[in-house]
Amino acid sequence: MKTPVIFDIGWNACINCGACIAICPHEAGFVSDFDTIAVNKPCDIACLICEDICPVSTITHREVEKKEITEKADDK
Amino acid sequence: MIVGAGPAGTRVARILAKAGVRTLIVDKRQELGTPIQCSGAVSRHALLENEVTPDTEFIHESVYGFRVMDGKGGNTTIDYRHLKPETYAEDKDPLGYVVDRRRFDRYLLTQAEKAGAEAWLKAEAIGHSLENNRALVKIRHYNEEITVKTKVIVGADGVRSQVGKWAGLQTHIKLTELASCLQIVVDGVETNGLLELITGSATAPGGYAWVFPKGHGYAELGLGIIAPLTKLNAQQHLDKFIKESFLSDRFKGAKLLEVQGGGVPLAAPLKTQYADHIILVGDAARHVNPITGGGIHTALTGGSVAGHFLVEHLAASDDFTAKAMKGYQDNWLDATGHHMWKLYDIKREIFRKPKSEEQDELLFKTMSNYFSPNSEFKKV
Repeated sequence: MKTPVIFDIGWNACINCGACIAICPHEAGFVSDFDTIAVNKPCDIACLICEDICPVSTITHREVEKKEITEKADDK
Repeated sequence: MIVGAGPAGTRVARILAKAGVRTLIVDKRQELGTPIQCSGAVSRHALLENEVTPDTEFIHESVYGFRVMDGKGGNTTIDYRHLKPETYAEDKDPLGYVVDRRRFDRYLLTQAEKAGAEAWLKAEAIGHSLENNRALVKIRHYNEEITVKTKVIVGADGVRSQVGKWAGLQTHIKLTELASCLQIVVDGVETNGLLELITGSATAPGGYAWVFPKGHGYAELGLGIIAPLTKLNAQQHLDKFIKESFLSDRFKGAKLLEVQGGGVPLAAPLKTQYADHIILVGDAARHVNPITGGGIHTALTGGSVAGHFLVEHLAASDDFTAKAMKGYQDNWLDATGHHMWKLYDIKREIFRKPKSEEQDELLFKTMSNYFSPNSEFKKV
């Protein structure tokens, strides 16, 4: 399984075009308040095609550390 | 109930309301047509056959034909002012228009509301459930959560359709079939009443670039690319097109006014566009011309088919299961869908060619033929 990632959006470059959500294979709801892919929760698919489709290449990611995942689970 | 107030959703709403069906159309946005994701080109007959009267309220500029260029000297100009001067002329009718999507979508909503539809903006559909032969849709309207009971949910919520995902439909689109588009609106670039399309992998891998007239002397310069075919993003390709292409001289005086972008499906229509109590229209159902990327005509037409189907069905039956909703898709296939599938096959053939030179040549030829007066596809 791939390591989950958390996306980061360079909001200054984002043109709010929605291509990242359109291409995203997640079930409904993996979106941010600004109509981009979600940035506040880990993506466990980690296919990264949202980064490829972004017309202005403003999506980046970091891998989630195991510790963070356990913490998230504890929150629930 | 209709989710999404673009051309497809408002078309359905207008037809239903006009027939006396209690109709609610919701959209999560505060301003329709935004963010602008599309160039706004639409043919005149597409508007007329869908009961939209061309109106200066939403028209940026009239267009009279096309020019397809391949950047290697290939240039097909199809100007209906010369081909059919008795019909198309500056003092007669144009072939089509570039519309202002903000005003166009708003205009379409007024048409639906005048017919009797109720509209909510700032109203996001966040989930649904089925109960006693009805669908319950949860709406976040401003800060309030409201549940609306409906017989059918029409998903007109765009290429990133959430309704389609609720329905569990196979809506996932491949990276090779979603064009990553960017366009800028500029002052200082001359146009001549033509939609200019520039094909070729050097300019726009997997897609094409365009120069469209935008009214008041403005122009749209844009392109769509298929991301896996290139290492550069749309922004970098557009920059190259403007600064380093065979048209660069023409763009020298360009003064930037707006930046817009989007993801345009150059894909096949969804194989299944319905589910229990749900049908999909417009971008949500991938009702987009896979060759041109044009989506306004296809959205209006799909909306018409859906609207008329529902009016008839609601009068005749209380069955809204997937089996009953299939009638919509059957009607759509007959009206336009088979045609669209054919276009998709043509597009796929082009990009199946092993060499990019062959692809370029074939795309140029296909585009040139597509817009010619003799094209069998001129009505799409």
